[in-house]
Amino acid sequence: MARIGVDVGGTNTDLVLECNKGTFFHKVPSTLKDQSIGVVEGIHQICEIAGIDKEAIEVINHGTTVATNITIEHNGAEVGMLTTKGFRDILHIGRHKRPHNFSLHFEVPWQNRPLVKRRNRIAITERILPPTGEIETPLNEDEIRSACALFRKRGIKSVCIGFMFSFLNDAHEKRARDIVLEEIPDAYVSVSSDVANVIREYERFSTVAMNAFVGPRSAWYLRNLEQKVKDGGIPAKLRVIQSNGGISTIDGCARKPVSILMSGPAGGVLGALSEARLAGTDNILTVDIGGTSADISTIAAGEMRIKNPRDTLVSGHAVMAPMIDLETIGAGGGSIAYLDEAGGFNVGPRSAGSEPGPACYNRGGTEPTVTDAQVVLGRMDADKFLGGDLPLDPELSHKAIKEKIADPLGVSVTEAALGIIKIVNNNMALTIRSNSVARGYDPREFSLMPFGGAGPFHGVALAELVSAKDVLVPIAPGITAAMGLLGTDLQYEHTRSVITSLFNADQGAIDRVNATVAELKNVGKADLENDGIPEVQQNFDVIAEVRYHGQGFELRVPMPKEGLALENVPDVISAFHKQHKADYGYSFDDSLVELYNVRVIASASVRHLELTPLSLGSQDDIKAAFMYERETIFDDGSVHMTPRLDRGKLGAGTRVEGPAIIIQHNSTTLLPPGYAAEVQDFGSLRLSKS
Amino acid sequence: MPKDINKPIDPVTLQVIRGSIETIAEEMAHVLFRMSFSSIIRESEDLGAGLFDTDFNTLCESESTPMHIGSIPGYLQGIADSLDDGEWYEGDVVVHNHPYLGSSHTPDLAIVIPIFHEGELVGYAGNTAHHIDIGAATPGLIIDVPDVYAEGMLFAGTKLYRKGERNETMWNFIRNNSRAARQLVDDIEAQIASARLGVKRFKELMERYGKDLVFGACNQLMDYSEKMLRQRISDIPDGEYRAEGWLDDDGRNRGQTLPVKVCVRVVGDTIEVDLTGSAPQTPTAYNVPFEGSTKVAAFAAFRKLLLDTATSDTRVPSNQGSFRPIKVTAPEGTIFNPIAPASAEARFTQCNFMIDLILKAMAPVLPEDIIAGSSASISFASYAGVRDDGEYWVFLEVNEGAYGGRPDSDGPDAIDNLMANTRNNPLEDLAMHIPMICERYELRDDVMPGAGKHRGGIGVVKSQRMLTDGIITHESERHTNVPWGIFGGTEGAAGKCEIYNFSSTEPPRQMHSKFHGEDVRKDDVMAYYSPCGGGYGSPLERTPEKVLDDVLDGFCTPQHARDIYGVVLDLDAETVDVAATEALRQTMDTLR
Repeated sequence: MARIGVDVGGTNTDLVLECNKGTFFHKVPSTLKDQSIGVVEGIHQICEIAGIDKEAIEVINHGTTVATNITIEHNGAEVGMLTTKGFRDILHIGRHKRPHNFSLHFEVPWQNRPLVKRRNRIAITERILPPTGEIETPLNEDEIRSACALFRKRGIKSVCIGFMFSFLNDAHEKRARDIVLEEIPDAYVSVSSDVANVIREYERFSTVAMNAFVGPRSAWYLRNLEQKVKDGGIPAKLRVIQSNGGISTIDGCARKPVSILMSGPAGGVLGALSEARLAGTDNILTVDIGGTSADISTIAAGEMRIKNPRDTLVSGHAVMAPMIDLETIGAGGGSIAYLDEAGGFNVGPRSAGSEPGPACYNRGGTEPTVTDAQVVLGRMDADKFLGGDLPLDPELSHKAIKEKIADPLGVSVTEAALGIIKIVNNNMALTIRSNSVARGYDPREFSLMPFGGAGPFHGVALAELVSAKDVLVPIAPGITAAMGLLGTDLQYEHTRSVITSLFNADQGAIDRVNATVAELKNVGKADLENDGIPEVQQNFDVIAEVRYHGQGFELRVPMPKEGLALENVPDVISAFHKQHKADYGYSFDDSLVELYNVRVIASASVRHLELTPLSLGSQDDIKAAFMYERETIFDDGSVHMTPRLDRGKLGAGTRVEGPAIIIQHNSTTLLPPGYAAEVQDFGSLRLSKS
Repeated sequence: MPKDINKPIDPVTLQVIRGSIETIAEEMAHVLFRMSFSSIIRESEDLGAGLFDTDFNTLCESESTPMHIGSIPGYLQGIADSLDDGEWYEGDVVVHNHPYLGSSHTPDLAIVIPIFHEGELVGYAGNTAHHIDIGAATPGLIIDVPDVYAEGMLFAGTKLYRKGERNETMWNFIRNNSRAARQLVDDIEAQIASARLGVKRFKELMERYGKDLVFGACNQLMDYSEKMLRQRISDIPDGEYRAEGWLDDDGRNRGQTLPVKVCVRVVGDTIEVDLTGSAPQTPTAYNVPFEGSTKVAAFAAFRKLLLDTATSDTRVPSNQGSFRPIKVTAPEGTIFNPIAPASAEARFTQCNFMIDLILKAMAPVLPEDIIAGSSASISFASYAGVRDDGEYWVFLEVNEGAYGGRPDSDGPDAIDNLMANTRNNPLEDLAMHIPMICERYELRDDVMPGAGKHRGGIGVVKSQRMLTDGIITHESERHTNVPWGIFGGTEGAAGKCEIYNFSSTEPPRQMHSKFHGEDVRKDDVMAYYSPCGGGYGSPLERTPEKVLDDVLDGFCTPQHARDIYGVVLDLDAETVDVAATEALRQTMDTLR
């Protein structure tokens, strides 16, 4: 029996295979036109490497950027929308807030790049009234049929339906869906009360429109991949990683692709989580540093944080789908350093990307990047980059930094390079802080985990800046995300608005809440059963999204296991006060507390990646691992003759004293003087002050 | 602050400290709008937060509503002139809103907490936020009132905490003087939590880098912002640039328009905005506090025009430096610099209009930077009523406008304008909590925006129905003064406002742009139509495909496409008739 994790990135498709012969890693180039080609090719190759029969593969967990790329390139489906008369432009108006305060020439993503053009947003006569959901004006079915005629004329095959107050009563939306399917039988139909059954019209409509926009192509890709895997003689079940870190079936994701918009970065956080478990660490600040950006998130007490759905924007559009709380900033190896016209020293967010790439790539880039600074400081050995696959030209790094930064500032090239590193580290540190300290976590109780090929260069410096306890470098920083795919559970989330004042909730109100929870549990149960999960393995977490009456933002607290009851309402209220205090530093203990949404997470644990522990090392390992030594400049400006060690030769328990540079394929760990690295049981490195 | 800290700081440390103080300001704002209760703060984010030195320089400020950014120094000066005890103690918390002591306008309460370092006062953490009711003559907003005393509670250097001890008398007083006491008090608590966070974070920063280094860096950052702005100003040819227009009325004396005159004087790397010649102060609340609003709007105009964050790679720090090169002149006793006891609560539309005129004035020398006339007003409405239990409900709503056509793109539609940058209230959330329901929220289709190579933005129509009897006050502008087109673009469309009853067949009543304390009945609907922006450049230069898009999207009639844009369409095929369009445009061009 074998399992594969496959993570498709912009450049490479990373694979991890776990079987009775051990765990294997592999990389193939991504095939961006049709990601499935690279995926299937990679699966065949890694099976060969492992020497196993592809029929032995039971499960393939897949992280994909297909849906994400559609939003970035804005090349999704032409979408038709049916909405309530009088509210045709909710998607065009959005929240009416400009993306810039001080600008006359700003872009408005939801107007310049609409998910549904106005001509295809058709207003339908119907009205549902708050607060009860009663029908004031029945649905005008003829208008829907004429709208469908127009869609047919325009060749529109993806239709979304978003009516006002449908979270109170979905009858009109459901009926409209049936009519659309009668009129356009092969339509891809997305319904707002299915996709995001919660209050707030703009966010709900935007979510369902996004689903319709990315839906047809994402669904095609997933089904095509499934077919190609089958055609390739691989009998495995194919699963897709969702933005919230759970895995789901091809069918589930094809119906609701808004749930996989952050599938790619979610793998990284999952990978960090499984590495943290192996190293016996619960609290992790994750920093995934790539070429152009860094993804930052916080894992506290072994749990990922899920973003408040009100904060989730994808390419400028609101999307209310559960996503790992992850912040992306424009700081990476390719980030460009420059001086502005008033002499300010900046690094990023502009990036040289991989084309032309850093100056040292010798592909025409002349602006200095973070990678060039590492080269100048003697941390990246030009002749050994990617095992010598891509030799770098350090002269070009030196020239770029000298001309663009050092000379204009009147400092040495080394000082300029150190400045570049310091500024980019500081930018990342500020984001780590706003993702952790600002949310009430004390970084001194957290280990910082740097990954992505360039991550471990920055680990110690970032840990110092944010006062993290220590640094944990994963086993294979370059493919942490792919490993994460084998470390997560099946998971389905369902949400519904149940606006209920908890302070004066009577038995009737409590019964209504419990009935909604029961209904959502049933939907989740059906999802799991559809996946063939037996009842004993099914697990349901019920979350209450709560706020003070009158507030605009909810916080999450767990719902009592036994269900809501008059006796345990005070517990929910006090849990909320506590959470509010933790998040904002203050609680309004005598204010009315309101239950806003309930959320049910149906999950089933699957077996996590099992790595074999490294064999015990000895201090002789360091000698064996020694490759060569070179002069290297560290962040404090000190220059040391620094040994290069082959990470693969360091056994468990080995302790390396800095300064040292620990090298593996695709990643390099910088260990400054005064720090020591200790090899953990499964091969990760823990760096701390000696 | 110690001015003697002039030792240059290395650019790296400078960048590190800049990032830190900017993050502090953002964290302060985040706490404030997440914690607050009234929708005007939590949804609209009508707030500002930042750090200040003892000379009242803004060291950093959050990216929230521009009207707040740059207003707090005025408050700090006013507090200094009126502070309880005459001095600051560690643990003090001050509330302040007096418009003749530097405030932006009375509903924007400032909360200020002093920052002490080793026993010495070194600066302040402060924020401002709009409160829904501070006990003015009528619920929420006011316009037609006799004087500043009708604006509600006036606070001047008032300590809510003294040396860490809560001044319960004051809190009780506040609670007893608002129609929405609960929200007012809880929102003040949110402001205090935000300011306390600012103090804590700034102290941590000083502990880490040392006080002198931090303030040295702040001074250098202010110089940097100032230098950036001065460089841009010196690119503009010296001279006097003028524009003028008018406001509909003062909210009482109907038909009497109020002139606004703007003269921008550019000399080297400095600018003076001279408002001399604008209307005398009004007898109503339709006046602009000079320190807290007039100056702030003029500063913002040039930040938008010269330091546009969307077109520049470089972000200039939001601090005092960006105010220094600009002088603002408005004679005392005029609408932009009223004398006490004139009321000055309803001041937003004048500020927006002043910015619009500054852009118009600069058009001859900055044709690629300015934009055509925008809605440049605001629609600020207060809806209120009394619940069955005798408690008031009050709801404040900011409605959006539209931008003028721009050198490279159309004016954005239905979006907050110039000094405003709020978020709208989710209609579903509103209807679940307040006895109101929205009847319509769409783009206007009763008029078309200004035509041009780049058309003006389209305004919005929002119709809100009251489900009980109640009272509405509405502050808006430009029912008579239409946003202008520029460089051959045509003018946009004026705003309008109607009240009709949902369950009656009576024709709608046309309302003035500003009305105060209007009694309304159950099922009365206020329908607000915001102005549309003017066009930029000749309509004959607009890409025919864009005209087709506008026709298909319902932004332009086929007739208008033909008559104004010279574009002939095949509507069945949804295509441009290229040959007919070329021919028609040629004829129209020769007739021009």
